[in-house]
Amino acid sequence: MIKHHPSQSLLLAFSRGQLPASLSIAVSAHTDNCSECMHQVLALQESSALFLDEPDTEFEQWHDMSMIDAITSDESEMLATKSQASSVNIKGTEYTLPKSLSSVQLSSWMKLGKLARAKVDLNEGEVHANLLHIESGGTIPQHTHKGFEVTVLLAGEFHDENGSYVPGDFIWLNESNTHSPQTTEGCLCLTVANDALHFTQGLSMALNPIGKLIY
Amino acid sequence: MLSSNIRTDKKAMTVTSGPRDQSAMHQELCGWLHDVATLRSKSAFSELFKWFAPRIKQFGIKQFNNEAQALELVQETMTNIWRKSHLYKRERGAPTTWMYSIMRNMSFDMLRKIQTQREDTISDDIWPMENMLVSEDVDNFEDHLENKNIKTMLATLPENQKQVIIGLYFQQATQEQLAKQLNLPVGTVKSRLRLALNKLRNQLGESND
Ligand SMILES: [Zn+2]
Repeated sequence: MIKHHPSQSLLLAFSRGQLPASLSIAVSAHTDNCSECMHQVLALQESSALFLDEPDTEFEQWHDMSMIDAITSDESEMLATKSQASSVNIKGTEYTLPKSLSSVQLSSWMKLGKLARAKVDLNEGEVHANLLHIESGGTIPQHTHKGFEVTVLLAGEFHDENGSYVPGDFIWLNESNTHSPQTTEGCLCLTVANDALHFTQGLSMALNPIGKLIY
Repeated sequence: MLSSNIRTDKKAMTVTSGPRDQSAMHQELCGWLHDVATLRSKSAFSELFKWFAPRIKQFGIKQFNNEAQALELVQETMTNIWRKSHLYKRERGAPTTWMYSIMRNMSFDMLRKIQTQREDTISDDIWPMENMLVSEDVDNFEDHLENKNIKTMLATLPENQKQVIIGLYFQQATQEQLAKQLNLPVGTVKSRLRLALNKLRNQLGESND
């Protein structure tokens, strides 16, 4: 069962289109799997739309109608498009990606031991989104985050100090959290972070380049 | 066009605001959307434009804090309304919610363009069309309801939620018809429906996950 959900304020900002694309994609990957949050988003969207019901007197008078002709001179209609989920093959396993990733470019996969990572090309400056694959038996050394880190489990399972996770789980960590996820059967995650992570344990400090690799 | 003139007159006569007003306005919007979709009516589109443009602009100024970009949002959103009106399905929810979703998606793609210089349009993948409205409740639920003891389950609902379920599933009213019949805002009907469905879902032993 999904136990980890985006916060209410994140869902509200999402429903209003105010989050960066990377975080919006992560929330959307969660609501694909979580009907509870999907309903929350629909309800928030309906209440946000209520301002449209305010009487005309609440809005400015509109005089310039030239836009109307410009718009209606093009008679063509748009067809309904249904986002086609794309899939990736990682070491022989086929994974279906969330629909929210269907028109986004992925970089090629970089591999390091049991980890593999592809960058999601969104060009959002310090906020990075990645697909992260961990092979069965793999682990990420204990680390903290200088900013925030969101992990959405897309397939498989992993567990850390706080318990185990199922596909759809949306895990938000910030500077005060440390964790070292490990997986028994292997997993694919979507991660969004606004800073490279920072390893905290002795030997792992030597592994700091991994932090740059995976987040 | 005659039909849209009549609608405009009707609108001019309403003075007070309240649930009745809202549903009359929604009827009118549905009529214009329908005429744009089926007749490619430019006069119906003009009515939609006059109603929606000032609202989009106000929303745009909040999102972008910039008038020129707010006007661009008006242009982009209204272009989409013109070209997608045939995709609006009245039985699936209020026209305002549909129009809001289009405006939100356009605003998202514009913000992205401003902040990242990317021209891609990914909003339709993030909020797919079929998720915009509450219709999934209706579609998914009919099957379940047939297989269980409906009467016993309905008996556990508060009266006002039961009314909504019976109206929508057994009398096949649309959410808007029902709202009118019960003299309630459509939003109230929807929230009662959601509460009722959540309760029924729990009884069916389904988790929301
Ligand atoms: Zn959720």
